[in-house]
Amino acid sequence: MWFFRSPDIVFGKESLSFLNNLTFRKILVVTDSNIERLGLVELIKKELPEGSTLHVISSVPEEPTLADIKELVPEASNFGPDLIIGLGGGSCMDASKSLFALYERPDLDIYDITPLVPLNLRKKARLILIPTTSGTGSECSWAAVLSDASHKRKNELASPEIIADYAILDPALVSRLPRSITRNTAVDAITHAIEGGSSQWHNVYSDLFSEKAIELITNNITSALDDSEPEARENVHIGASMAGLAFSNSQIGLAHAMGHSLGAHFRVPHGMSVGLYLPSVVDFSERSAQDRYAKMNSLFPVKYRKSGLGATLREFFLNIGQPLFVDQCGIDSIDYGRKIDSLVQLAEESTGTVTNPREAEGNEIADLFRGVIRGEE
Amino acid sequence: MPKFPSHEWAEEYVEKLNSNTSYQEAGKNWEGDITFVIRKDEAMDSDAFLYLDLFHGQCRKFTFTNSEEELPKPEYKYIGKYTNWMKLINEEIDPIQGILTGKFKLEGSMMKIMKFTRAAKVMVNTASSVDTEI
Repeated sequence: MWFFRSPDIVFGKESLSFLNNLTFRKILVVTDSNIERLGLVELIKKELPEGSTLHVISSVPEEPTLADIKELVPEASNFGPDLIIGLGGGSCMDASKSLFALYERPDLDIYDITPLVPLNLRKKARLILIPTTSGTGSECSWAAVLSDASHKRKNELASPEIIADYAILDPALVSRLPRSITRNTAVDAITHAIEGGSSQWHNVYSDLFSEKAIELITNNITSALDDSEPEARENVHIGASMAGLAFSNSQIGLAHAMGHSLGAHFRVPHGMSVGLYLPSVVDFSERSAQDRYAKMNSLFPVKYRKSGLGATLREFFLNIGQPLFVDQCGIDSIDYGRKIDSLVQLAEESTGTVTNPREAEGNEIADLFRGVIRGEE
Repeated sequence: MPKFPSHEWAEEYVEKLNSNTSYQEAGKNWEGDITFVIRKDEAMDSDAFLYLDLFHGQCRKFTFTNSEEELPKPEYKYIGKYTNWMKLINEEIDPIQGILTGKFKLEGSMMKIMKFTRAAKVMVNTASSVDTEI
């Protein structure tokens, strides 16, 4: 017995106009100052139902902490929305999911946002997520990652009840994404697709979305990076949401466990950090996921395809500029080497470690961390 | 070959757990007790309880009983029907998926245990390694 969970997904050109059909009266938009400065909140505002009242919280920081979210609760409660819209990248959408849960249930311990505890949400509001990047898949998933600054930890919160009611994938919101963000977020999505389609919990639904996501992203990312084909960004955007559905209905794996661990110690874009470990995690897991990896490998464009998925990923990442070594991420290798014990400990605490196709012991995880130091691979 | 659940089964399980290096590593920072609650169903006629006092990758003490009142109040309880426990031991159910699908229930603070999912999984895998009478 297992489940397939998904928000209602509105996608394609002008899909923001869907907002106009809704009947909500008090709408809270949760976003960050960059998104507001870029005028994306204005695009939403134009589409809101007539007569509705809008309040905007645009103070979500990059990689929000548990404390950041708790601070936003009084402002949300004072406004009393019947709809919360999370607008932005992973940080804004994850913040919106957590804020939604705490607005609904101020009594809730944030660590109770796990699939093991019934939350009984949706007594006050509904949740819509609108991504402005193509990668996190947060708009389709029931997970939220929040940092715990004091413990240098990325907390993986998850509950089927924090999944959005609607996800809106409007390509207009990603049409001017900078090249580096386009690449980093796409690598995140590829990692979701590969780990979601091969984890110990993978299933026919996650396989389906994983495979289509790999096909859409890897066949369109080069054109999206060059802005050479108008449809490419839309295809990557949809592919990223499918990758979100893949891992959300299965599980993440060791590359995510390690990437979250790296992100807790060093300021590295999330997609870059998980992508850094993906090829070696795939090599490590190969014998436990041969069929899945073979199928995935066959979906990459022929020009990148090698005899194994790990090698294909390295070729593909080289081509799009995703780092393969830690120093290419702007991290000092010596400082990184000193922190390996702590990196391993954090990775071991992630569920991705137990759902990876091949479970890893601490010493094997340490080897994988060391494997991205140039000269020690 | 011990029958599940029984004192003999618990003894063998704890022996295997304490000699499992994967558990010693995954549970090296764990301090806390847990009771496995095996609820009666059509295949078993009374509830059974296996209390485990776990500390730094070792089980320091265990108690098997049919009366929960004899046990200290544990930090965690992992609760399921006998038939589902047998499926878990036979690796037909994943311990975490078992909770997500309502076949098992976990009581206790989530904040702490979510950091020890690997230790929890090794504990269940160890149960599968006990040669159990069907």
